[in-house]
Amino acid sequence: MTIARSGAAAALLAVACVVWSAVPLSGAGGAGPVVLAVAAACAALGTVRLTLGRSAAEPAGPLDPAGQLGRGLADLVRTVPWAEGMVVAVLVLEALHHSRPWHTGLLGGAMLAYLLAVHLAESRSRLAVLRPQAPLIAAGLGLLVLAVGTAALPAGTGSAAGLLAVLAALAAVVVGGLALPR
Amino acid sequence: MTAGTPRERADQTGPAARQVRLHWSVSAHALRLTTLALAALIIAVITKRPEFAGVAAPAVLLLAARRPWRPATVGLSVRPSGRIVTEDEEADLAVSVTGYGEHTADLLVHPRYAIVPGPGASLRAGQASRLPFHVARSGRRSVGVLEVTLRDRLRLTEGRASVDLPVIDCYPRPAPQQTRVVLSRLPSRLGEHPSRSAGEGLEFTGVREFVPGDRQRRINWPATTRRGRLQLNTFAAERTQNVVIIADTTSDVGEPGSTPVDLALRGSAAAARAYLAVRDRVGFVLYQHGLQWTPPGLGLRHYYRIMDLMLGATGTRGLAAPASDITRLPRAALPPGSLILVFSPLLDRRLVETLRDLRERGFAMLIIDVLNAEPPGGRDGLSRLARRIWRMEQQAIRFSLRELGIPLVRWDGEQSLDEPLAPYTRRVMVIHR
Repeated sequence: MTIARSGAAAALLAVACVVWSAVPLSGAGGAGPVVLAVAAACAALGTVRLTLGRSAAEPAGPLDPAGQLGRGLADLVRTVPWAEGMVVAVLVLEALHHSRPWHTGLLGGAMLAYLLAVHLAESRSRLAVLRPQAPLIAAGLGLLVLAVGTAALPAGTGSAAGLLAVLAALAAVVVGGLALPR
Repeated sequence: MTAGTPRERADQTGPAARQVRLHWSVSAHALRLTTLALAALIIAVITKRPEFAGVAAPAVLLLAARRPWRPATVGLSVRPSGRIVTEDEEADLAVSVTGYGEHTADLLVHPRYAIVPGPGASLRAGQASRLPFHVARSGRRSVGVLEVTLRDRLRLTEGRASVDLPVIDCYPRPAPQQTRVVLSRLPSRLGEHPSRSAGEGLEFTGVREFVPGDRQRRINWPATTRRGRLQLNTFAAERTQNVVIIADTTSDVGEPGSTPVDLALRGSAAAARAYLAVRDRVGFVLYQHGLQWTPPGLGLRHYYRIMDLMLGATGTRGLAAPASDITRLPRAALPPGSLILVFSPLLDRRLVETLRDLRERGFAMLIIDVLNAEPPGGRDGLSRLARRIWRMEQQAIRFSLRELGIPLVRWDGEQSLDEPLAPYTRRVMVIHR
C-alpha cells in the first residue's frame, strides 16, 4: 500500500467510523449531535494533519501576515492529536446508543483499521511492516468476537449480570495479553 | 569539459561510521492504541457493555506484546556521492546504519536552503541506502540534517537521532553556448580565431602573385594556368584572444533560482567554458561586496579555478565594493585589448559608471543584461507610477551605454546564450577605440 493510499484509506475509515457510530442519530439522545460534530471535526482535521505531513512549513516573512497565520494554523493542526480525539468521540457516540453488540464489534474492527492506516500514512511505511503484528491483531479480533458474542447472549437475571459479563470480557483480554510469548 | 570531472577529483573517502545516541519515546501509534484501549474499557465498565471490552482487546494485546530491548546507540556513516555537484545534478548520500537488531530504521533528510531531497528510505538490518537529492542554487551549501528513526517490530517505541550532513560545493549550471564573440583585432598570440592578417592558418583568404621565398606547396595551379604567372594561396593567421568575464552579483532580487545572480553565474560559466574550449585566455572578475578576480588563463584547471571563485558569490545584500576597483585591477587581470563580457542587471550605479570608464579607455565590451525582476508593489496609481519611473530609469541607463558604443543584449536565462549574442557572433566584432 503506498503512502497516498494509506492516507486515503485512513480518511475513508474515519468517515466510515463516524457515520457508523452515528446512525441512527435519533438514538443517541440530546448529546448525539454535539458528539457527532466533535467526531467529524476530529476526523477532518486528522486527515488534514496526515496531508500536511511532519515537516514544518517554510517560514513566512515578517511582512507576510497571511503566511504567518497559515503557518500558525498548520502548526496547530500538527500539534493536536486529532485521531485520539476522534476515537474517544466515536466510542462515546456509540455508547450513547442502545446496546447493539454486532454493530459495536464492527466499529471496533474499523477503528483498529483506521489507527493502523493512520500509522502507515504518518510513518510513510508500507503495509508489510504490519506483518509481525498480524497474529496479535487476529487474536485481538478473536477476543472482540467473543466479547460481542457474550454481549449478544440473552441477559441474565439480576442487575449484576451485565457487570459480570464485562468482567469476564476484561479477564479474557488480560489473560490473552499475559499469554503472549515474550 | 564536463561536470563529472570534479567529482573524480573530489575526496571520495567519507567519514567512518560513528556512534549516535538515540532518544527513545513511545510512538504516536502506541499512544493512539492506548487511547482506544482505555476509552473502550472505561466505557465498558461504566455502561456494563462487554462488547466495548472486546473493542479494547486488539489494542491491549498489541500493547502487551512490547519487547523492552532497544539499542542505546547505533553506528551511522554518511557519505555524499561527490563533494562537488552542478546545479540540478542528481546526487545522493550513501547512508549505512549498524547495530539496530530487529528494528527498522527510517531515514529522512531535513533539507537546508536550496537543497531538494528525494524520498526517504527504510532499512532492515544489514542494509545500506542511497538518499537522492539535488541542489537548486549554486554556492557552498549544507545539505541539512539526517533524521534516523528506529522502530521496533510492533512500532510501539521510536528511537530518534539527528546528524548534520556534510557541506558540498555546487557549481552553477553553464547555460548552453556554442558560438563566441571574436574581436576584429587580436593580440599576436597563436590561437584558433582567424584574424585579418595573413598567416599560417587554415582559412583561405585569397590569391596573390608568387614572390621568391614563398612556399611552393601553396601555389594555386588553376589560377596560375589562367593568369600565366605563378599564383599563391594566402591564409588567415590564427590568433587567440583575451576574454575577461565580469559577473555582477550585487543584486539578488526576484525568484530564487532565477535571480540576476543565478543568471550572471550561469552565463559566466557558459562563457568561460565556451572560450576556454577554443584555447582563449579567460579571466574572471566577481563583483559583489568584495571584489574577487583571477587573471586570464588557459585550460581545464583554470575553468575550475573560475568555478571555485563563483562559489563565493553569495548574493548577499550589503555594501558593494567600490566599482572603481575594477579599473584599478592590475594589467595582468585586465589586459589591454581584451574582450570584456559583463553579466549584470545594471542596478548598481557605480558599476555602470565603471563600465563607461572602461569603454572610454578603449576596452572592447559587451554587456549581457540579466535583469528579470521588477520592484514589487501594489496596483494603486502611486505604485504603478513608481514602477514606470523605475523602468524609464533602467531604459535611460541602457540607452546611455549604447550611445557610448557598448553593445548590450538581454538574456532571460531560459534560452541559449547563442540567441542574444547572434548579432555579434556571426562576424567579428569591430570596436572603435
